[in-house]
Amino acid sequence: MSTSTNSRVSFASLTPNNLGTVRKLNSVLFPIRYSDKYYQDILRPEVEEFCQLIYYNDIPVGNICCKLEDKDGEQCLYLMTMGILAPYRSRTLGSQSLQRILDAAASHTKPKITRIYLHVQVSNETAKRFYERHGFKETGVHENYYKRIEPKNAWILERTIEPASK
Amino acid sequence: MSKAQAEQPVLANKEAKLFRELLSHYEEKHLTKGRKTADQILKKHPNHGETLAMKGLILVHLGQREEGKKMVKQGAMLNMKSHIPWHVQALIHKGEKDYDGALRAYKNGLKADKDNINILRDACFLLTHLRKYDELVEYRHRFLQLRPVNRTHWIGLAVAHHLNGNLAEAKNILEWYDKFLKSTPDYDADNSERLLYHVRVLEELGENTEALAFLDKYAQSRYIVHRTSTMEYRARLTTKLKSSDAPDAWRVLIEQNSDCWDYYKGFLSVESIDYDSITDENRAAALKHLNNFSQQYPRATAPRRMALSVATGDDFTNLATAYLSSNIQKGVPSLFVDVKPLYTDPAKAQSIQSIVEKLLEAHNTPPAPPPAENGSASAEPTARLWALYFLAQHHSHLGAYSTALELLDAAMAHTPTLPELYMARARVLKRVGDPYGAARVMNEARLLDGQDRYLNTKCGKYRLRAGLVSEAGEVFGMFTKKDAVSPGADLEEMQSLLYLREEGDAHYRAGRLSQALKKYYAVSNVFDQVENDQYDFHPYSLRRTLLNVYVNTLKWEDSVRSHPAYRHAAVSAARIWVSVYDDPKLAEGPAASDSATSGSDSVKKAKSKAAKKAAQTPAATEKNGTANAQQQNTNEDKGLEPPQAKDEDPEGARLIREERPLERAQKLLAPLWADVARGVWDVETCAVAYDVAVRRERYLEAARALARARSIDAEHPEVHVRTVELKLKVQSLSAPAVSETALAALVESLATALPDELSLETFNSQYLQRHAADGGAVLGAARAARVLQAPLAEVEETVFSALQDGVALKIETALAALAFLRSIESSRADEFRAACDARFELATVFKAPEELERLRKESLGEPVEVKEETLE
Repeated sequence: MSTSTNSRVSFASLTPNNLGTVRKLNSVLFPIRYSDKYYQDILRPEVEEFCQLIYYNDIPVGNICCKLEDKDGEQCLYLMTMGILAPYRSRTLGSQSLQRILDAAASHTKPKITRIYLHVQVSNETAKRFYERHGFKETGVHENYYKRIEPKNAWILERTIEPASK
Repeated sequence: MSKAQAEQPVLANKEAKLFRELLSHYEEKHLTKGRKTADQILKKHPNHGETLAMKGLILVHLGQREEGKKMVKQGAMLNMKSHIPWHVQALIHKGEKDYDGALRAYKNGLKADKDNINILRDACFLLTHLRKYDELVEYRHRFLQLRPVNRTHWIGLAVAHHLNGNLAEAKNILEWYDKFLKSTPDYDADNSERLLYHVRVLEELGENTEALAFLDKYAQSRYIVHRTSTMEYRARLTTKLKSSDAPDAWRVLIEQNSDCWDYYKGFLSVESIDYDSITDENRAAALKHLNNFSQQYPRATAPRRMALSVATGDDFTNLATAYLSSNIQKGVPSLFVDVKPLYTDPAKAQSIQSIVEKLLEAHNTPPAPPPAENGSASAEPTARLWALYFLAQHHSHLGAYSTALELLDAAMAHTPTLPELYMARARVLKRVGDPYGAARVMNEARLLDGQDRYLNTKCGKYRLRAGLVSEAGEVFGMFTKKDAVSPGADLEEMQSLLYLREEGDAHYRAGRLSQALKKYYAVSNVFDQVENDQYDFHPYSLRRTLLNVYVNTLKWEDSVRSHPAYRHAAVSAARIWVSVYDDPKLAEGPAASDSATSGSDSVKKAKSKAAKKAAQTPAATEKNGTANAQQQNTNEDKGLEPPQAKDEDPEGARLIREERPLERAQKLLAPLWADVARGVWDVETCAVAYDVAVRRERYLEAARALARARSIDAEHPEVHVRTVELKLKVQSLSAPAVSETALAALVESLATALPDELSLETFNSQYLQRHAADGGAVLGAARAARVLQAPLAEVEETVFSALQDGVALKIETALAALAFLRSIESSRADEFRAACDARFELATVFKAPEELERLRKESLGEPVEVKEETLE
């Protein structure tokens, strides 16, 4: 079957109009309900490049959403959510999405972004391995990160961003 | 009068010059200057008719309509020998869409000046508009005699003959014109169109050889420049002439556009294959040709899809497998709609089902694939999704609603972000009688993509179907103009037939007859506008030599009211008028602001919001209104069309109390009579036409309408009930009220359907026996029994028999039966409702009123996430 040859992967920025799709995706992808503030934040213009819907053959199948944080004068990206619907996994969609964010961060100049970090529930080995393949390193464990789901602890994974060479 | 005429002052040089200035001021729309000039003349000659008329015309332009019209009339009375006051009157009538009045004025103008070119020209347009084609020919002729050198006058006469049905004369005129035409440049589009029109006339005359020779001559000499039209004429004419060039002529067209079904049909027709009625004799030949074309044009859909209609048996299975699998692989959302026409053949429907089921199995990847590090993805996941979607629609179409819902569950578990899935689910829920669930799911679809107007419209429509009128308005309002009085007002201005129809129906279902009537009349107004709009094409099309499309447009306009939206509105409004006639209390109706609008709070909120909005924009409405018509100081041109008056009766409360409801119904139905000739006429329309006629005591008309209905479906319940009704009526009629001949004709019209020796009761019970397994007919028999004044218990018993096992009962019929029981104040109505509720498991329309209210509110809710963990 001639499959992956004509399958298309594309991305779209978030708008108030496609936020319903993001909500729908999050509701099936994560065991967590995200607050209204989360949905307001991902619409901010300064994170447009870092909050994207992921399409496979023109169907929304996942999203990747970050926010910008100021830590001791340094700007870093916090990856809040990233997920692909089950039937569309193992097709390098996640890698392509993450790479897109990393590239965007590297070429971001005002302000310059120095690193990116995220939380992974300590039960989720697969996710951890995925991020490690993309250069992330475990820097610690956030005890009792989750309040109501088990296990409560989360790994903190981080990698630095090298500015894109011009 | 002649005395006044004699006194018409002759203008001295100075005033004559001023009058010429006045005319040119008007031409250039210098209205205030024109008025001043007119006043100057009138100072000296206050009774100068022509000046008065011109001043009146200017005043109308300036918004002083009544005063202006009075002045124009005065002018005409003072000088009947001049064409000017008449011309001016005609212009004003035309502005007010009073075309008959305008024509009368033009004719008077021609009496004063029989060779006035301007009046003749305008009169021709009016005659075309009013479809007075024989007079049109006469006027065009006169016009041509006066100005024979003008090209358009010749063509105008030819078109007039054509419209009047005299093709031979049209051909003559075109040939005359052709003869004296000296030279035209190559590639002249106007000339090319004229020549193609000539070919068309020849073709319509059946002079195909001549037409083809003419076409070839002028196409080769490069006078005819429109290539596609030339090729299409050629293909058609060579086919009619059975020329050996015909197949190639079609092949050239297919090469140009390999997705045009008509070209393939044309090609097949050369071999006497009628694609629309394939026989077993020519099936193989047709299939062979279509398959050859499929190979020749690998990217074309048309020959592949057409082959599916032609093929049967194994051929069909093979072709359908290829067609369906490639389209599912590609992810074509409209695939089901595309193949749905094949379902008229149950064998094909079955075959399609097993093909797609097999495809689904092939794509049956487990929901969570093993975390393959090498990423060796196999089948396309989207193909599985589209196969599920297809099968859901398939089962929904065949009435297997639970299966459809299960398939949609599976599809949504696979990919919950595809709006099509929600739309399909909403449609299934609508079909099983759950309009509230349908509205809720359609709203979920809308939330997935807020900028998709299609989803928005569907959501609004489904809310209307669930009786949520103002909530629908909120959704529609996201796309309508923000400064509109209400979303509905904007949609009406944009001539949204869908909106007008659905909101009218929503009001009708809720018993708000006046508001329903208002919307149905708005639909009718849209068609008035479409008819009025064609006026501009009369001058334009001839000037620009757009003859072929122009003639087509006129023909289309003639039947524009056979549009389903008009028919539905006319029939529904006529029904309302009939029920208001039967029970004038209905016109009082529930007050417009009644809580019945749907008791929810949001309604009230929306209402007060709308009221506030309306209050904020008085300036805007006044601008369009008549308010400043009196203001002398505004000098802008307001045109000849009267300004749109503010709607003083937005909820139709006054409309529904108008006198002569039956005549109003008749007026709405009248344009539909034209459809009879075209054979598009359904039982419902006939039935309401009968209802109106019988109440107007036009018994023969009623009998004719009923006979027409009987010719469509003699056993239709609506026909049955009315046959009983009419027979009773005829029995009660006697000679003084109706003439003997009419009575005899009536008796005869009923005789075949209802033999005299048969009692009506027997007639009814025989009907019931014949159709005991058809819910609609059972209800018809119950209604007829009611007409025959059978005991209530017997009528009720008949209605309840529709619930027996083995009786095919549709939800709409059950709803109608429930409404019938309520209308005869049956004490068993609620028992029937509860029984339907049990029978139609998935339906919610049979729930108790308080339950319905809850469901209605729920259908507005957004999906709620139930999760323990919340993250900021």
